[in-house]
Amino acid sequence: MTAAFRYSLLTTVILLPLALGATPARAADCEIKLGMVGPLSGAAASWGIALRSGAEFAAAEVNKAGGLPVESRKCTVSVISYDSKYTADGAAAGANYLASQNVKFIIGPVGSPEATGIKPVAQRNGQITFNTAYAKNAIEPNYPLAFHGLSGPATWAPPLAKAAKEKFGFKSIVCVAPNDQGGTDIASVDAAAYRANGVKASEEYYQRGTTNFAPIIQRILNQNPDAVDTASSPPADGATIAKQLREAGFDGVIGRLGGPGTAETIRAVGSVEKLGNFYWLEIAPVDSPGVKALWKEYQELMGQPAPSNTLVIPGVVSARLVLKAISKAGTTENAEKVAEALRSLAVEDKNLGKGEWTGQKIYGINQELSFPVGMGVIANGKNLGVTMIETATSR
Amino acid sequence: MHGMISAAIIGIGLGAQYALLALGFTLIFGILGVVNFAHGGFYVVGGYVAYWVSAALGLPYPVAVLAAVIATAALGYLFELFFIERFVNDQLATMMLTLGLYLVLSTAIVVSFGPESPSFSFPITGSLHGKGFFIPWANLVVLGICVLAIAAVYGLLYRTDLGRALRALADDRAVATALGIRPRLLFPLAFALATALAGLTGALVTPILTLSPHVGDPVLATAFMVVILGGLGSVIGSIVAAFIVGLVESYSSIYLGGSKGALALFVLVLLILAVKPSGLFSREVRQA
Repeated sequence: MTAAFRYSLLTTVILLPLALGATPARAADCEIKLGMVGPLSGAAASWGIALRSGAEFAAAEVNKAGGLPVESRKCTVSVISYDSKYTADGAAAGANYLASQNVKFIIGPVGSPEATGIKPVAQRNGQITFNTAYAKNAIEPNYPLAFHGLSGPATWAPPLAKAAKEKFGFKSIVCVAPNDQGGTDIASVDAAAYRANGVKASEEYYQRGTTNFAPIIQRILNQNPDAVDTASSPPADGATIAKQLREAGFDGVIGRLGGPGTAETIRAVGSVEKLGNFYWLEIAPVDSPGVKALWKEYQELMGQPAPSNTLVIPGVVSARLVLKAISKAGTTENAEKVAEALRSLAVEDKNLGKGEWTGQKIYGINQELSFPVGMGVIANGKNLGVTMIETATSR
Repeated sequence: MHGMISAAIIGIGLGAQYALLALGFTLIFGILGVVNFAHGGFYVVGGYVAYWVSAALGLPYPVAVLAAVIATAALGYLFELFFIERFVNDQLATMMLTLGLYLVLSTAIVVSFGPESPSFSFPITGSLHGKGFFIPWANLVVLGICVLAIAAVYGLLYRTDLGRALRALADDRAVATALGIRPRLLFPLAFALATALAGLTGALVTPILTLSPHVGDPVLATAFMVVILGGLGSVIGSIVAAFIVGLVESYSSIYLGGSKGALALFVLVLLILAVKPSGLFSREVRQA
């Protein structure tokens, strides 16, 4: 072996790894941790689990495509979740836990108490949040890192109340919900929307944690309403209320202009036929080709069907948008830069189509993701499907 | 007037369910001196066993209820034998053990059955309607079974040798042991009896209301309130307190609304405890 050959070999051995390191970006270059905060246990667990599934699907999409380009790097995406148990303190603790894991981007939380609890803590920690709460202060100008992953009641309640009244012709309604912010902020907006459409509406609130609603049902029946709206009652509560209403002989219309929970309601009552007349908010037009394609893609990528709770949709859309903004901002660390990128991004999702940033009129800040919603109808025991409802812009 | 009758019927129905729940809770405290924080977990397990037996195995509902009772009794027996027994005199340790068991049970159910409520209905539907009131037939059946269960537990405790032995252990464990009564044999049996009652309640009540993995949380809170009001360890006290709580909850919720009704209930409980801190039917409980 000549000296020249030995020199060449040594040079090759030293320089080859460097040369490989200089190749175009690879997925192993960095890791982005998406946080997820929401109820993973308790009566609202199906909401949190659905939202988490959405975030995990969006992460899996990116990873399958080879990672997320961030400047010259390609990053893998992982999801770290935290069970905030639908409580304000749980959500605040979740933000701090995720901060300790260096998580800057959080999908969630789900409910109004959680949104109230997480906003100041996440702002202090420099974390972007994407809550799906229906609180009247789900986002605020004071907390510019807080975004809203779906339209709130003030946006969808007026057109849905109108459509429900036109469909079923009821003249009086009772809106029933838990007596905390997660209930009152929604039921009061629903009731106002019904009143604006000429329906006599009253509100009934119950202690969260109630399991047997018989006294509440009796109180509702004493008012002899044409319809009852379970608003933002947790899915299990809403289902029990519907079941006990029907058992008590109430044959009027039951509505659900609040969080998703139709599947649980049908299961609790026993069947679509027994449910009779029912209408509900779908946070996306689930019968549209785009959403149907999403379920198919989910099944193929995750190897199992998506959760039946439709909160999976804002989970997917929010996570996709955050990842897009990270890529555009070119940073995995600076949440403020990513927030700037988010605000400048056109709202468009491959499954939901075009949306917009709204919220200025209602919340004082234009950080709400708005897409058309859906209204599902069961009439005379037959499921008529979900129709798309265009919402009035709240910009 | 119709409203008053209706409220009374609803209150009695609620009271019956609370009584069944509280009975097992107070038995464990009265006999073992253990506050069983897993009581709600046994209620949920009872519901899911009944659901699984009737839905997955296709067996009749009464068989499913029986299976739930046996399963929760067996689980309670084993848990007491292998875990509680070793720390039965250490209230802090037993509290942590039962809390831990509740977390294990509820998480295991989420993993096995998922977080959402399954379709689980009582086999008898419809309601008895009168002038201004109604009562679902299912609630009447539960009420009947509740009365039978209370009578059976009462008979067991006050009319059998086993009951006398259990009461002796509750009164003074040292003396009872000196007289030849064996706690190691009887404590698991008492625990199993109590958890079987929780399982029975779960199997009966969850198809009427709803079945979900964490429905045991509020159940534990209710049972706790009832047994404290009745006097920890008092069987009669728990039963009377359960019906008081049921009736107050019913009247206050119907006439004051869900929020003020709950407030009225807690204020009443607070006032009673302020006057009689050891509960309505308190007795010289536990020496151990």
